[in-house]
Amino acid sequence: MKTLTALKRAGLLAMCLCAGEALADARLEARRHFRSGMSLIAQKQYDAGIAELEAAYAIKPHPNVLFNIARAYQDSGRSKEALEVYQRYLASNPPDAASVMPLVAALEEKRKAEEAQAAAAQDPSSLPMPPPPAGTQSQQQLSALLERLEKAIERAEAMPVGSATIPGLTPTGVASANADDTAGGVDLGAVPYEERVVTASRRAQSSLDAPNATTVITAEDIRLSGATSLPELLRRVPGADVMALGVGSANVSLRGFNQRIANKVLVLVDGRTEYQDFLGLTIWSSIPIGLEEIERIEVIRGPGSALYGANAMLGVVNIITRAPGTGPRAQFNVTGGTGNTAAGSFVSHGGSGAMRYRAAAGYSQTDKWSRDYASGLPDVTLRGPDPDLGARGARASLSAVYTFAEGRQVGLSGGVNRFTTEIYPPGLLRNYFIDGVNAFAKGDVELGPLKLKTFWNHISSDAGPQYEATGQRSLVTSLSSNLFNAELLFARDFELAGTHQLNIGVEGRIKRVDWGDYLGPLREQVHAAFFVQDEWRIVEPLALVASYRVDRHPLLNLGSPGLAHSPRISALFKPFENHAFRASAASAFREPTFLESYTQLTVPVPGINGVSTLTTGNQQLRPERLTAFELGWRGESPELGIDLDVAVYQNTVRDLIGLSGVSRLPPGQSYDPGTGSYLLGSSSFQNEDAIYTARGAEAGVTLAPVDGLGLKLSASLQDVTSDRESAAECGPCNQAPQFRLYGGLTYRSRADLEFGVDAAYTSASTWIEREPAAADPTRIDLVSNPLRAYTVVNARVGYMAVKDTVTVALVGSHLGGAHSQHPFGNRIERRVYATLTVTP
Amino acid sequence: MSRPTLSSWKRAAGGLALATVIGLGCDAPPVVPTADVRQNTRNARIDGNLVVQSRARGNVVVFLYDADRPPPPQGTGRPITFTVVPAEKLFGPALAGDTPGPFVAPFSFSLVPAGRYMLRGFIDVNGCGSDAGADCRRSDFNPWYGVTSEPNAGDVGGAAVDASGRPLTVEVVADADGQPQPLTGVAVSFSDTARVLRDRPTFQVVQGDGQLGSSQKLLRIQPLSIHDGAVDQRPDGFAVSYLDADNDGTPDGFWPRVVVRKLANDASNLVDENDLDRDGVPDDTGVDYARADGSQDGVPDVVVLNARLVPDSIIAALTDENGNPRMEGAVVPELVVEVRPQALDARVPTNPVPLRELPRGRYAVVLIQPSGQTWRVPNELAPALASGLGLPAVESQAFFLEVP
Repeated sequence: MKTLTALKRAGLLAMCLCAGEALADARLEARRHFRSGMSLIAQKQYDAGIAELEAAYAIKPHPNVLFNIARAYQDSGRSKEALEVYQRYLASNPPDAASVMPLVAALEEKRKAEEAQAAAAQDPSSLPMPPPPAGTQSQQQLSALLERLEKAIERAEAMPVGSATIPGLTPTGVASANADDTAGGVDLGAVPYEERVVTASRRAQSSLDAPNATTVITAEDIRLSGATSLPELLRRVPGADVMALGVGSANVSLRGFNQRIANKVLVLVDGRTEYQDFLGLTIWSSIPIGLEEIERIEVIRGPGSALYGANAMLGVVNIITRAPGTGPRAQFNVTGGTGNTAAGSFVSHGGSGAMRYRAAAGYSQTDKWSRDYASGLPDVTLRGPDPDLGARGARASLSAVYTFAEGRQVGLSGGVNRFTTEIYPPGLLRNYFIDGVNAFAKGDVELGPLKLKTFWNHISSDAGPQYEATGQRSLVTSLSSNLFNAELLFARDFELAGTHQLNIGVEGRIKRVDWGDYLGPLREQVHAAFFVQDEWRIVEPLALVASYRVDRHPLLNLGSPGLAHSPRISALFKPFENHAFRASAASAFREPTFLESYTQLTVPVPGINGVSTLTTGNQQLRPERLTAFELGWRGESPELGIDLDVAVYQNTVRDLIGLSGVSRLPPGQSYDPGTGSYLLGSSSFQNEDAIYTARGAEAGVTLAPVDGLGLKLSASLQDVTSDRESAAECGPCNQAPQFRLYGGLTYRSRADLEFGVDAAYTSASTWIEREPAAADPTRIDLVSNPLRAYTVVNARVGYMAVKDTVTVALVGSHLGGAHSQHPFGNRIERRVYATLTVTP
Repeated sequence: MSRPTLSSWKRAAGGLALATVIGLGCDAPPVVPTADVRQNTRNARIDGNLVVQSRARGNVVVFLYDADRPPPPQGTGRPITFTVVPAEKLFGPALAGDTPGPFVAPFSFSLVPAGRYMLRGFIDVNGCGSDAGADCRRSDFNPWYGVTSEPNAGDVGGAAVDASGRPLTVEVVADADGQPQPLTGVAVSFSDTARVLRDRPTFQVVQGDGQLGSSQKLLRIQPLSIHDGAVDQRPDGFAVSYLDADNDGTPDGFWPRVVVRKLANDASNLVDENDLDRDGVPDDTGVDYARADGSQDGVPDVVVLNARLVPDSIIAALTDENGNPRMEGAVVPELVVEVRPQALDARVPTNPVPLRELPRGRYAVVLIQPSGQTWRVPNELAPALASGLGLPAVESQAFFLEVP
């Protein structure tokens, strides 16, 4: 009976999954249809092939598909249909329009001639038209064009998908080799539906050509996940450590070394850093863009300093927004749910002439999952703005691009976010609120191979412990940070014993941080950098990518200006179509933060109001260094709708920066008149002597086996060891979860329904906190805090109430049950949201 | 693209409304302390005001003691915590003058668990104004060293007192749920009438070796002036007086009192045995010696040696020319300490219990004045320690008594 019931349920599920036309991973499904169509066309089964291409185009429009449909019609002798599709292709304003227009003109003439012939045949009185004079110049040109076109198409069809562009036939939106490296330009690639990335090499390329392990999260992934925050999306990245301590506060690391205030991953938005140098963290809730503005997120799992410099030590997260003018004219989103969650946003794309814009505004708020302290306690005072509030933000952004000509454009953008959220600093400092404004302005100029990129980042806020002992001196203060950056990039291709794609850049950066009692006077740093990368295709199927960057930092030479060198070498070997093997070696670094370099902070000792400890910065710190070796394989099976990604790595980390134990001060320095307290001693930031080695393996697979069903699975294993610390004392060794597993399933039906569920499992770990001993605060005890394994389960059910116009969705987050992701973090509770999306 | 219809809109709105009803919640987040030890405590606070009537100027240091473990001279307790009210905050514009006040400033002890407490304090007088001479006394309190952590001559004492001026014991009580309740409005008074008259009983052993055998040991001690670096002690002799411990009008002994306390076996520091956390309270675990009757109480002992001041010279000083006792006391240039080869467990100070054997190891000699000021040797001025701590090295301060 049970078996029968199970079979019935399985059958029902199968029927559901196979019912109707459905979409899951649009790119993979479209690619599967495209490849199937091209295969059928090659077998002269034109109707079936064209139907498959049409299906691919319907799932995910790509101009190259139109071109191939037109070509198939032409080959099958249906000039009228071919002409119509060519005209649709030209309507998309492809850069090769000038080349295609004569072909269209010829087909039009041909059609007119046929119509004329047909009319003549119907009119017996008319005289037959003489054949056109042979040997005319126009006929020769047309003939040559057709011949060239046919050869080009044959070459393209013979090429492995994802390995090359089509010479002379670069369709719409296809980025040239020098395409915008990080901005959110629409780069569809020459080969339809191949995965394109821009972050790994600062130019558009196939994922197969990327010199690093790369994971892409698409806008479609974001929408179907129902995620409400950026870090939540990153759980699907193999090797990513996402540790949420509060609803608005998460720490993201890659391949271990996560911590309160994760500081080893560089987060970019359209190439603009969101890494906050004063403390060394990314304040995810302060980023002035909404999820609905994102085109995709590219995650480089591995060192990125060779291109991005400091802080791209363990990886790079590049959030790429949708290019201005490429989205809906208007879209409204409204969300409400448990935990006093309320959010609303508006996005508009438009343009006039050569001008395109994207405007967005949004508001969101949500309560904490849990509070550390109850209200009205006699010993604790609330310092933050609201004891229940976990995150709140009101943001607006505007992005505009003016295109003068192909490869010549100016982009301007800006955004502001009035935000409140939490952060969890390290050491003796605990749960902080941060309440202020994050703003940016960005300007990009592209002149062919030259690009000038400038931006200004600003953050000003009040910040301090959310809770402090009543009667104790407060650490709440205000901070202001400004960062000015200018970068000049040059890209060029040339031939020299193979094909070279060269990228060169120089960068200058000024940082100014004013952080009251924490840093003392206004601190300013001037940085400069130079980088070069050459991608050398020696001979098929081998390519080498060599990158090198040197950063000038004002303190790196024992407090004087010094240089940090970041080389990277990668070898790419593609012995088979759609398969790339990769070997790379690189080094990367994290620069000391302003806090680590300059702080002079007297921290009250809990419970002893007359005593403080002095935390001092160290301007002679060495940067944290990483040496990484990686072997990877990326494989694609377009026919089956499968992408595979495997990587094994060894990361060696040295010179980690941490706080020393507390050392007594000379008797004459024991009293601090500024705070009216006696200094127990001082601790300073220092480079650790221990060297840590992380070894691990990651594997991910994305499947779209049948229409409507999408599956993503990934797993990662890692082990961190230390050359000096015992297993019990080694923080990075114990804190890194050894095993993570992710599984995501999406089902989309054109019968108006969408389902998505994903689960991320993280194995148990032990967090070792360095706490002053109760008996003798100058002694640091290592306190072990075990953290149980946990699984984050999120699910979404969407219903398109009005086709392409109104969608409602119900989202459940953390359905796996209450848990904590750090011993000092909130107890994370289930939440349910309802979302309405209107695209009028 | 199909045009939205009214029914579609209704359907969408209905779906959203349903989803919202299902999903919406307005409960405040639950209170769930994390594994952070700081969040898993039940404490309150003690707030109040300092009331100062004094011409003295300086920072005010207020100590909180467990009422069951009072400080010297009543006991040997050490402060649980302390706070500092800077002179600028207390005296304001009057800091530069010498008006007697009164001056009032708030103070607070944070994170105080339920219990009974005593509050003591003093003004750490800074007598080195712009027109002071080189011999002036600066603020010299420093809590991190035994040789600098007590008031000196010229400082002004204070305490939480009741209306009649008697020291007050205050209590932080817990409510029915066990949550301690804040104690507010506590006044800690300071007055020139409580000026500290003398420096600490700084001494050096000038005769008598450090070995204690089977017979009694006599140690001749003399005052020692130290005016170097962070240490400024200028005793003019030992203040002696009769001690009436039970307040019956009959002297029970003499001030200063002397205690010979066993030190921990770790020769690199000066920590008392079984008080490794230096809080003045016997540790939970430690050495338990056999008592004279052969029994053991199963808890760490506070081992002291039977010691007293030899009374001959003191009685002479405390007797006037008419043969009457000088109840106001006197100052003598020298004392003799008698140490007998008998060990006691002074875990309960009022009822020391003899031990069967004399525990081997190092012992410190402590003098306690009626004001509660103390001095002990060995201390941080011992050359082996002083240089590392930034303190002046004084050879005599390395003395200790040893039971081989």
